[in-house]
Amino acid sequence: MRSSRSTEIALFVYGLLIIAFLYLPLVPVGFASISKARYLTFPIRQYTTQWFGQALESATLAELASTSLRIALIVTLLSMLMAFFGALAFARYQWRSRGLFQKLVLLPVFFPQSVLALALLILFNSLGVIPSWKTAVVAHLVWIAPIATLVVAIRAYAFDPMLEEAARDLGASTWTVLREVTLPLLMPGVISAGLFAFLLSWGNFPLSLFTTGADSTLPEWLYAKMVAGYSPLVPTLGVLSVAGSITVILAALAIARALKAVRTT
Amino acid sequence: MPTEPILRLKGVAKHFGNVRVLDDIDLDIADGEFLTIVGPSGSGKTTLIRLLVGMDSPSTGELWLRDNRIDHIPANKRPTCMVFQSLALFPHRSVGQNIEFPLKVRGVPAAQRRSRALELMSLLRLRDDYYSRSINQCSGGERQRIALARALAFDPEILFFDEPLSALDYRLRKTLEKELKDLHRRTGKTFVYITHSLEEAMVMSDRIAIMRAGQFEQIGSADEIYARPVSRFVAEFMGEVNLFDGHGGEDGGFSGAGVEATVPAEPGAASKPLKPGEKTTLMVRPEFVHFLRPPQSRDYQVRGTLRAEYMLGSRTQYKVEAANGQILTVEKLSEDRIAGAPGDAVVLGWDRQHAHFLNGERA
Repeated sequence: MRSSRSTEIALFVYGLLIIAFLYLPLVPVGFASISKARYLTFPIRQYTTQWFGQALESATLAELASTSLRIALIVTLLSMLMAFFGALAFARYQWRSRGLFQKLVLLPVFFPQSVLALALLILFNSLGVIPSWKTAVVAHLVWIAPIATLVVAIRAYAFDPMLEEAARDLGASTWTVLREVTLPLLMPGVISAGLFAFLLSWGNFPLSLFTTGADSTLPEWLYAKMVAGYSPLVPTLGVLSVAGSITVILAALAIARALKAVRTT
Repeated sequence: MPTEPILRLKGVAKHFGNVRVLDDIDLDIADGEFLTIVGPSGSGKTTLIRLLVGMDSPSTGELWLRDNRIDHIPANKRPTCMVFQSLALFPHRSVGQNIEFPLKVRGVPAAQRRSRALELMSLLRLRDDYYSRSINQCSGGERQRIALARALAFDPEILFFDEPLSALDYRLRKTLEKELKDLHRRTGKTFVYITHSLEEAMVMSDRIAIMRAGQFEQIGSADEIYARPVSRFVAEFMGEVNLFDGHGGEDGGFSGAGVEATVPAEPGAASKPLKPGEKTTLMVRPEFVHFLRPPQSRDYQVRGTLRAEYMLGSRTQYKVEAANGQILTVEKLSEDRIAGAPGDAVVLGWDRQHAHFLNGERA
């Protein structure tokens, strides 16, 4: 349908406003990271990249980034694995308690994260487990794996079950069917689930705050510095973190495009 | 049966809860034959083919493939395979990879797989350059051929079909029906085909098995079933038909409302003589009914009024209302159309060799 010129302009302005609403908050953070002053004031008197230099050289920040990255990568891998099999149970196979499973598996997503984290902390304590980045992995998984499962399940619903039956009929064992048919067909879903898992874990604050124990992640450090001992490294790190997320998304898109190109040739 | 059956069903039944979908089925399938199982939806044919393929197992009864009992062997361990209704081609694989799938599963080396796939593609008239094409780039007819090639690559002892042509348009279906029959002749394999379309069954099969409510109503060649159905159900299922309820007369002939039997003592050649008083139904196909002009006469005659004329292409169909209100169907080749207008009084007649009696019919 072709819209008139005025409608087109209205839609364009509307779209622009939404984008502005989403991205405008990032702008002052960006300015803060390149202002030489300790606190952001307008107009900015002197620009500098020294905060970026400091941030990249800081051993503390490297340690924080490595903890965040470690947690996010492990959560991503485990979520992908859990989501793949979880989605098969969720969407593909008919079994007695499927309806109950579908509801229970999604429930953690709707718990307030701080409550969920507190509950987990109490659980770890009562089990005698000392909280560290490892317990944070567990906490992240409780919240993120259901979301990843849902992402793969959407893909699994669109899956023709006859494809598996046909593969079996042509002599494939259960394992071969999984490897040759089910897995490749669900792969796009598993990859997007992994992407979600990584980004959700990388940026998570409430779960990490309660469950990392003596270890600390980037979001935790940002919060701590906001509360006490503010430094311009906070906005700088914010910008770096967002840039990191964008890189991950662009890389994932590039990989998806490359895979598609390989398949069609 | 001339040869040992390749597949034998003994008392096969299947129920889901209290619902009996298949009821004590016996069937011998001959090596190399083209058997079509036809039935309306809900007759149990899909359940039956799932059992035959191994995607399900019977509740009771036995399945024998030559000398091996197979009813509890899963589909992937049986030397048979099926062309699915949805075709179930793998969308993430190329045409070649689809066809090679059963060979890959068996661990056949890549070069050998490729040459076999190309061989099958030429058998099914698919150009070589389709080998690396994506399934999404293929038309409906091409997909049918790919599915067939994939099934043949498996080299099954029996090839099953679950209405694979049902989603295609009429002309393509007609072409593929003939191709399938031709393929059957060239490969010499046993084909078992399931459909609800009688036309498909008649064009392709050596034998047709008519299913109704989980049982076989009649099994035989297309000619046999068409000319000598065992029941009203089969008679009506096999196309347009005129049926007259009646009973055996005093003289052993047929006596029924509205039908004058001028040569009553002998019923149709194919049927047994009628016992006096025995309930029966007289059947005649529309193409064997003639419009009579006095003094012409036939073995059986009915008086009526011409009601409508329908041009069907090569044939023309007439609807005639008999004196008792029953509507009869007459078909003539269009070149033999009669000059008649709705409302004309007509006399219909046919001979005893085209009359068939449905005796002892199941309720």
